[in-house]
Amino acid sequence: MKVTYNWLKDFVDIRVAADVLVDKLTMAGLTVEGLEKHSGDFIFEIEVTSNRPDWLSVIGVAREVAAVTGKKLKFSKSSFPRKLKSAVSKGLTLEIESKFDCPLYIASVITGNSVQASPDWLKKKLELVGCRSINNIVDVTNFLLFEEGQPMHAFDLEKLRGGKIEVRRARQNEKLVTIDGVERLLNSEDLVIADAEKAVALAGVMGGKDTEVSSGTKNILLETAVFNPMLIRRTRQRLGIGSEAAYRFERSVDRYNSKAVALRAVKFIEELSGGVCVLEKSFGESAPKKRTVTLSCGHLEGFLGTGIAQDKIKNILVSLGFKVGKNSRDGFLVEIPTYRQDVLKEIDLIEEVARIYGFEKIPSTLAAIQPQVSIYTIRDFTSELKNILIGLGLNEVVTYSLVDKRLLEGLGVPSSGQLEILNPLSQEQGVLRPSLIPGLLKCLAHNLNQQQEYVKIFEAAKGYFDSGKPEPQEELRLAVALCGVQSWLLPQGLIKDELGMLHLKGMLEEVFSRFGIKDYGFSSDLSEGKIKIMIKGENIGLIYNPQKKALDFVEIKNKQVAVLELSLEKLFAQICREKKFVALEKYPAISRDVSFVIKEEVLAEEVLNAIRSRNIVLLKELKISDSYKGKQIAPGFKALTISCLYRSPERTLTEEEISPAQAIVCAVLSERFAAKIR
Amino acid sequence: MPGVDIDSIKAAAGQEINSASSLEELEQLRVKYLGRKGVLSDLTGMIPGLAKEDRAAFGQQANALKNLLTSLFAEKQASLGQGTPLAGEAMPDIGMPGIVQDLGRLHPITQTINEICAIFIRMGFIVVEGPEVETEYNNFTGLNIPLDHPSRDAFDTFYLKPKDNYSERFLLRSQTSPVQIRQMKAAKPPLALVAPGRVYRPDAVDASHSFMFHQIEGVVVDKGIRFSDLKGILEVLAKNLFGKDVRTRFRPHFFPFTEPSAEVDVSCIICNGKGCSVCGRKGWLEVLGSGMIHPNVFENVGYDPKVFTGFAFGMGVERIAMLKFGINDIRLFCENDLRFLKQF
Repeated sequence: MKVTYNWLKDFVDIRVAADVLVDKLTMAGLTVEGLEKHSGDFIFEIEVTSNRPDWLSVIGVAREVAAVTGKKLKFSKSSFPRKLKSAVSKGLTLEIESKFDCPLYIASVITGNSVQASPDWLKKKLELVGCRSINNIVDVTNFLLFEEGQPMHAFDLEKLRGGKIEVRRARQNEKLVTIDGVERLLNSEDLVIADAEKAVALAGVMGGKDTEVSSGTKNILLETAVFNPMLIRRTRQRLGIGSEAAYRFERSVDRYNSKAVALRAVKFIEELSGGVCVLEKSFGESAPKKRTVTLSCGHLEGFLGTGIAQDKIKNILVSLGFKVGKNSRDGFLVEIPTYRQDVLKEIDLIEEVARIYGFEKIPSTLAAIQPQVSIYTIRDFTSELKNILIGLGLNEVVTYSLVDKRLLEGLGVPSSGQLEILNPLSQEQGVLRPSLIPGLLKCLAHNLNQQQEYVKIFEAAKGYFDSGKPEPQEELRLAVALCGVQSWLLPQGLIKDELGMLHLKGMLEEVFSRFGIKDYGFSSDLSEGKIKIMIKGENIGLIYNPQKKALDFVEIKNKQVAVLELSLEKLFAQICREKKFVALEKYPAISRDVSFVIKEEVLAEEVLNAIRSRNIVLLKELKISDSYKGKQIAPGFKALTISCLYRSPERTLTEEEISPAQAIVCAVLSERFAAKIR
Repeated sequence: MPGVDIDSIKAAAGQEINSASSLEELEQLRVKYLGRKGVLSDLTGMIPGLAKEDRAAFGQQANALKNLLTSLFAEKQASLGQGTPLAGEAMPDIGMPGIVQDLGRLHPITQTINEICAIFIRMGFIVVEGPEVETEYNNFTGLNIPLDHPSRDAFDTFYLKPKDNYSERFLLRSQTSPVQIRQMKAAKPPLALVAPGRVYRPDAVDASHSFMFHQIEGVVVDKGIRFSDLKGILEVLAKNLFGKDVRTRFRPHFFPFTEPSAEVDVSCIICNGKGCSVCGRKGWLEVLGSGMIHPNVFENVGYDPKVFTGFAFGMGVERIAMLKFGINDIRLFCENDLRFLKQF
């Protein structure tokens, strides 16, 4: 909202420069976002928070200026006319359908006006706060809207049919052309002002085109009313209309000030247009009920952490327009002015005192926080996991939780169970992701485009899905994606390492080992082309190469990509944090390698399991230490080398003890798998 | 022993080593005795040709000689006064790239969250998390934000498509504050916690806006928690995060869930408060929202506001990371360019 320095000076004797005032107001909670020098005046752009509708007026801001500069407001309400002399209330029918929708309505009929341009001082005042001057009637209503915060509307009386004003809900599909020339289609959620025949204004939001005051207008009906904020808000939102009037009604207008504003308006219009008020009719006028809140200075001190002198507390509240009486040794009985509907509880008064007193004068203390002992949480596990993964050379990425449905489709993610956004910004962010892989693929594509030779990334975040339960489900997941060739320049030359699924397996094994997970395995599902990650017989995730279709969708071309995705909740459930020391072996181990040629389709795991199943006592470790496919090996075959590690806890083994064991290994290879030992 | 006198080799070698006068000379001797085609290598080469019963004894002698000569060479090398390595381990060309495992990095958002959480953990806070898909109650009503009220305008929100007309409405949390409601409903005071996480708002993406970003929420509730405690704790945070010389400023503001509410500014870390383009010439940077928890919120979670008081605060992680690292575009965080990630 805009307000000017000179307009404020109509109400307060300001003795500080505009920029100083900016700081004072901002530090009291009335944020001044901009200060602009303009034709001998200063325009303040202020941010009015939704709890302070009273600040949506020059007088409201002036009240605050008075409080922060220690001055008194210059005007008093009694200087404005209290009563209308000549008006009568016959000859107009006023019908209010619901007191809930429209608690107050004052109609003033002013006849014999001469509609013309406003005087320059009025034009300038309005223009400085961003309001275009229209004519002397409309300008008066706008002037009072800005000065008092009370929106008003003037109708051309001759255009109102049947001598009637009715405030009612719109009929279903009732139409109204508003002042901006747009035809609005209304329904029973909208509140309208109607004459005897049809709607003539969208109550509190915008007037109607048909009945607006124009240069030919002689007689007017001036509306000063208060409408239900919620109705105004809904209509304004549904029809997408922003108006100064709606903005104020939505935040609530002080209905006990409306009559005084109506009288000011009438007097002002009479002065400017030469008209005479001949009739006034109102609905819902009432005197305000006195409202009080008690404030205990002890509570205030306990709550803020500092004591403030009772005199000071009283002065602050009085400067803000509260009436303050003493009600005990420690407390005040505070009468709340009608424009402060936001002040309901003692805490509201404490806030008022604190912000004017100055937050900066309240000391800083350190709360005596009672530490809560927390057990190891998923967050701790996740943090540990991330540290392991970066040690394995993976970079952490953060990708959007909202993804493109088409990408999921391209990846073959079933569309059932997906959670769609009702109001997405675009189709690209239309679905909550059930899988983290789409985001990682987009990251891969971006980085490959930047000529990265290889990309190794992971994300540990949530996947979302509908499991048929009433509430949507979230699951913490881990996804890893690898692509490209990592090379190592060693003294003996360049070693190239094409990243793939076995790298993912190796990383997982390291993770399992660090988390004390032993009973795991990997089983290939050849039909799906995916590898299942199993812990204690439970499938916790998959390792696979995304299909070409998916890679095409993110424009990864001619590259092999390997990905892994698993449920971290299932993984963390298997963590074994107990670590038991195993005594170090005293006697040296002896390693024997055996190289052989075997049919290509025989899996390494099968071979190792067959040897293990023979339970050779001295054989402590068994691993594939080399593999080769190439020119020297016949097609359909591969060469493997197995390293066998023999060890005894009691003595150094001799060749004689190892030979029989090694013979069993060779026998398994040649008899079970028809391998040719090399 | 056939034709070889190990003792005389030992004696000759000992003398030659002893009289060597330079490292070069010593190196030549080392090659002569211990090199690949040296005397010792010849000796071991003889073993297979020996009678079976002599092999072991000869082998042991040759080995003993090798050990002796190795230590003589080492002593002599040391006495020649320089610890230069022997040839074969020649000095590398140190201009060549070092050989190292390529370690990964944590995302700058994770690093920032970790840093902030660590500050609070040191003060006795615990770290918790909450769901991102939330109810209207936890995101709005419970936090004293009525459904049809202008105070909701600050919180544009993504909603999920309802399964049918009768099902409850779910939304993506527009702030981390719903964690307050969940934690307070789940436990009785005292409470001191921080809750980091993703939040969502339907803002069009540009250099300073994103529809998804991160916040950290903090809550302290106990008997006798004061506004001065809020100031103290957040000053500790600011100094830890931005440096011990940073100044803080508490500006009254309005949030529906706290009263009094304060926005917290720190003196601009770029210009030290003098005024620059980053702080919009103000000298101050807004980094936190905070306030004393509103009694209505306490009532909503079943705490007695006459017994307990507390404060809450929230901050945008991207905003803090951008200030700390000098990042000028919020989109970089979710683009995940390795050239960006490798800088932190």
